[in-house]
Amino acid sequence: MLKITDLHASINGTEILKGLSLEIKAGEIHAIMGPNGAGKSTLASVLAGKEDYEVTSGAITFEDQDLLEMSIEERAREGVFLAFQYPVEIPGVSNVNFLKTAINEIREHKGLPALSAKDFLRLVKEKSALVDLDASLASRAVNEGFSGGEKKRNEIFQMAMLEPKLAVLDETDSGLDIDALRIVASGVNTLKSKENATLVITHYQRLLDHIIPDFVHVLYDGKIVKTGGKELALELEEKGYDWIKSVE
Amino acid sequence: MSGTLIDFCKQLEPTALKLPAALLQAARDGVEFQHHFPTTREEPWKYTRLGRVAALKLTPVNINQSAERLPASDTIDIIFEHETWHCAEPTAGLHIDFSGDLDASAWNACTLQGHVQHINALSAQGGVAIRVDANTTLIKPIRIIHRLQGEHTGLILHHQLVLGNHASAQVEVFFEGTSEDSYANVLFDFFIGAGANLHADMLQQTKGTHYGFHTQRIYQQKDSTFALQTLTANTHFTRNEVEVFSQEEGTHTQLYGAFIGRENNHIDNHTYVHHKAPNCTSDENYKGVLADKATGVFNGKVKVYQDAQKINAYQSNKNILLSDSASINAKPELEIYADDVKCSHGSTTGQLDQHALFFLRARGISETKATDMLIKGFMAEIVGAVKSIHIQEALHALLD
Repeated sequence: MLKITDLHASINGTEILKGLSLEIKAGEIHAIMGPNGAGKSTLASVLAGKEDYEVTSGAITFEDQDLLEMSIEERAREGVFLAFQYPVEIPGVSNVNFLKTAINEIREHKGLPALSAKDFLRLVKEKSALVDLDASLASRAVNEGFSGGEKKRNEIFQMAMLEPKLAVLDETDSGLDIDALRIVASGVNTLKSKENATLVITHYQRLLDHIIPDFVHVLYDGKIVKTGGKELALELEEKGYDWIKSVE
Repeated sequence: MSGTLIDFCKQLEPTALKLPAALLQAARDGVEFQHHFPTTREEPWKYTRLGRVAALKLTPVNINQSAERLPASDTIDIIFEHETWHCAEPTAGLHIDFSGDLDASAWNACTLQGHVQHINALSAQGGVAIRVDANTTLIKPIRIIHRLQGEHTGLILHHQLVLGNHASAQVEVFFEGTSEDSYANVLFDFFIGAGANLHADMLQQTKGTHYGFHTQRIYQQKDSTFALQTLTANTHFTRNEVEVFSQEEGTHTQLYGAFIGRENNHIDNHTYVHHKAPNCTSDENYKGVLADKATGVFNGKVKVYQDAQKINAYQSNKNILLSDSASINAKPELEIYADDVKCSHGSTTGQLDQHALFFLRARGISETKATDMLIKGFMAEIVGAVKSIHIQEALHALLD
């Protein structure tokens, strides 16, 4: 589904990703772990198409298409979803209104008719229950006055509504208490299918107690330096990132 | 320098209003003393050039004195369209007259300030005089429509709205149509009686090279409430002057405004709130979005007089510039002579929130639509305060 080959990316002239390669197939959950500054969030931003980052070399194909050629919105419509590390507050724009627009733009892209108001509301009800998001939050302005946990649950709610092929969770566990973590994780697990894939970017192992990855990659200094199964995460937690640095 | 103010007024007919002699004399003295249109060296016009206005060749609009009656609708309609004015049948407790029919005594409370008001006093072709009796609550909103058309037209109107004690009314005002090389100078005097409540929404959306000067003067008595929402959308040239006189205790004033400009539009909002009495509140919130080479002005002034203790005055102005060539000059001003007041003011100008734009696009929404959504979201506070369904509908059509 996603194939990243020898990706180099920089911001303001500083190279962050230095030859990253990664392949994700449908049905798989991948976790990327790494110390601060390794390039984890840069990878997420580059996948979503954030214009602050410049890809200097390498390739990303998504469903056999050149992802780097696509605009931010095209990537989303093709099925790439980024759950933000720091969800944005947008006063005056209601959560449901924005989601309705998003869903219908995606449907139009796929040649599907717009969702009726009734079907849309049914979907909101169903999916907000999945992440235990209060229905009143769904109708409020995007993330305005939401707690940290509510913001993250709102990200997973949006993911549930948009049904992406590839979900990239950028440090979704940061700032979450145990209960919120469990709700977010169970949302992700419920949405898992043979057709879609998930890339979990995290600093800590604890999220991986709830979302069991098929592969764990260690990102260090802009490259993947180690790949293994879920036990790698435990090993990292135990030995710390210095262990990777010494392996290097 | 183009023509003098006297020349400008000569193109127009002498006033159709029976103004007190002293007031007319003051207006004559005013244009003679001022002589030319003010330049940008004069503070109130620092950011608004009047050269093009001074050069306008105008034909006055001669408005028929007696209104043609309109059929009943869900609003009490008053329409100014070219040289005619129409109005609905008044209902119980409501009186609608031609302002030219009012006796001189009806204008006693008027004062004149600046060349816009001087021109208005000398050349007003009429206007509507609305009176709501004391203790009357109007169920239907009053809708005043100015439908502008033609070229080189000069429309000068002086409206008066008097709300008796404990009366309550809602007004919606429209400026629409297409008009080229034209001038409109429309003045409203609002007299809000004790305990009375007036909610007014105004939409300015005239197309063409139209120069619109809009003045609203509000005189508030004890415990009265006045709310005005001024919405300006893509007008070539608009100057709004709102002046509130809070004369007695317990008044509440809300001045909200939203303006959207594009191309070479110029939209100028001047407000002045006089807190002359204690225990009053005022809440001011103006938001602007300017694209292309549009220019905007916000100058909001709040003056708290010496005896006006326990005033709570809030003022905010926020602007978004969508292009490098758009500009805004913002000037919030506070003048406080009392020592026990709560006042705040602030102004910010920035670009569209790039994080929010990225977020919306990352959910599959096109850049254009995402931009529209953010602008709409930015304006939501102001638009949400509009009660007029007609204006709400017009705004949704404009912003979608």
